[in-house]
Amino acid sequence: MTDREVSSEVIEACRRGDRDAFRVLYETYKNRVYSACLYFFHGDAAEAADVTQEVFVKLFAVIASFREGAAFSTWLYRMVHNTCVDSTRRKKVRERIPEIQTDSVASHEMQLLHSRDAATIQQAVSSLPPKYRVAVLLRHFEDFSYEDMSKVLNCSMGTVASRLNRAHKLLADVLAPLRDRVTAGGRDA
Amino acid sequence: MPERNDEKFVRDALGRLPVEQAPDSIWHSIQTSIDASLDAPARVPARPLFWPRSRWAFAAAAAVLIAGIAIYWRSANRPRWEVKLTSAGKTSQEAVRAGDWLQTDASSTAEVRVGTIGTVEVSPRTRLRIVTTRPDEHRISLQHGQIKATISAPPRLFFVDTKSATAVDLGCQYTMNVDDYGNGLLNVTLGWVAFEWRGRESLVPAGAQCRTHANAGPGTPYFEDAPKAFINALEDFDFSNGGEASVRTMLVSARQRDTLTLWHLLSRVAPPLRAQVFDKMTSFAPLPKGLTREKVLALDPPTLETWKNELAWTW
Repeated sequence: MTDREVSSEVIEACRRGDRDAFRVLYETYKNRVYSACLYFFHGDAAEAADVTQEVFVKLFAVIASFREGAAFSTWLYRMVHNTCVDSTRRKKVRERIPEIQTDSVASHEMQLLHSRDAATIQQAVSSLPPKYRVAVLLRHFEDFSYEDMSKVLNCSMGTVASRLNRAHKLLADVLAPLRDRVTAGGRDA
Repeated sequence: MPERNDEKFVRDALGRLPVEQAPDSIWHSIQTSIDASLDAPARVPARPLFWPRSRWAFAAAAAVLIAGIAIYWRSANRPRWEVKLTSAGKTSQEAVRAGDWLQTDASSTAEVRVGTIGTVEVSPRTRLRIVTTRPDEHRISLQHGQIKATISAPPRLFFVDTKSATAVDLGCQYTMNVDDYGNGLLNVTLGWVAFEWRGRESLVPAGAQCRTHANAGPGTPYFEDAPKAFINALEDFDFSNGGEASVRTMLVSARQRDTLTLWHLLSRVAPPLRAQVFDKMTSFAPLPKGLTREKVLALDPPTLETWKNELAWTW
């Protein structure tokens, strides 16, 4: 996570209410947070934007309480996780697949821009129960350690391992048709 | 080792999920929310009136009261935009504030009064968000669907964010449609619109349009009545890596009015091609006095600006 951590000076400036520093912090994390929300909410861009906004507004309000010495990204993702779960409870988010309008401009090019594999994988992740979905996103999309995950999810490392194990099995079943292609290609650079 | 295989497979699979770009509108919404919370009225602590045991209870009650007042004050004082909703022939009036979403279905439309500077007509099957409603910045985020904006105000007061471009009003009327991925089309009917994304800017005058694509941003503007071959070649250049071949096709079919497109291309092609684009442009009309070929080819900003202003008389 170190390559994505902001400096302690930036965080300290944010704690003093420095808006420019907060912009730096936002720019550092916005795409990762937004993407995590996007994959959590089944590709619903509107919901992801709402939750991302809520996370950073909350962050601005409470960053003064962040303790030096703790990993900032762990703290931030705990907030992301809680906000995603709260939003799901609050709104009972519908399983909305973004509509593809047949008369929309250049819709024929979408398939060129979004690989089918990524869409299939996104759908598979979306199909997981929330607690497994969060676990695989933190582990494999955000590269969190089991220890950091246990802090974010507020559970033991054993529970983390158990959730991941279950999620891996579910995903492996759903994504079985892609196994050869994914395994041959490995992780994208 | 099936478990380890599953883990590796899942890791590889999730490694294929792209990191998506957060829409620019999120930051504006965050700023609006933070501004609203900071603007909430502060309270000077009163001198303690009660004996110490009840002080905490009083403080807690006061905090709840102040928070309630602040929330009420914040929501009551945020500027509102009036909305006329029409659905199945019936019309109703609503009001929206920064942060609100507005969505129409297949049988409904809406007309949003944008402060005092204009209106936005919202077509069926459209979803948008009100981002900023300040007098110095009116901003909406168009998630998908179509809007028609009619704005009468100084430039750069009204903005429409999409996932791949922001339309900046320069005093105009235009329609804009976009899909959930950020692919869309801007069509200007009056005045000018600047179509911007990450430092790239396309200036679109009345009668012209400009496409935008997810991940690529706004393309190059062109007039609706441009030759079909010209438009197709431009589409290839902007979004299909058409390169030199597509530029040559454009140069063959360009008309004087298409100097709008060629002027934008000057800064979007490599130097050898730039000279050919320049020659084509000057074949329609000589370079204005005081400007030089060398400065145009060097993309000198004042030179390009002056030339654009002269060319614009023919657009």
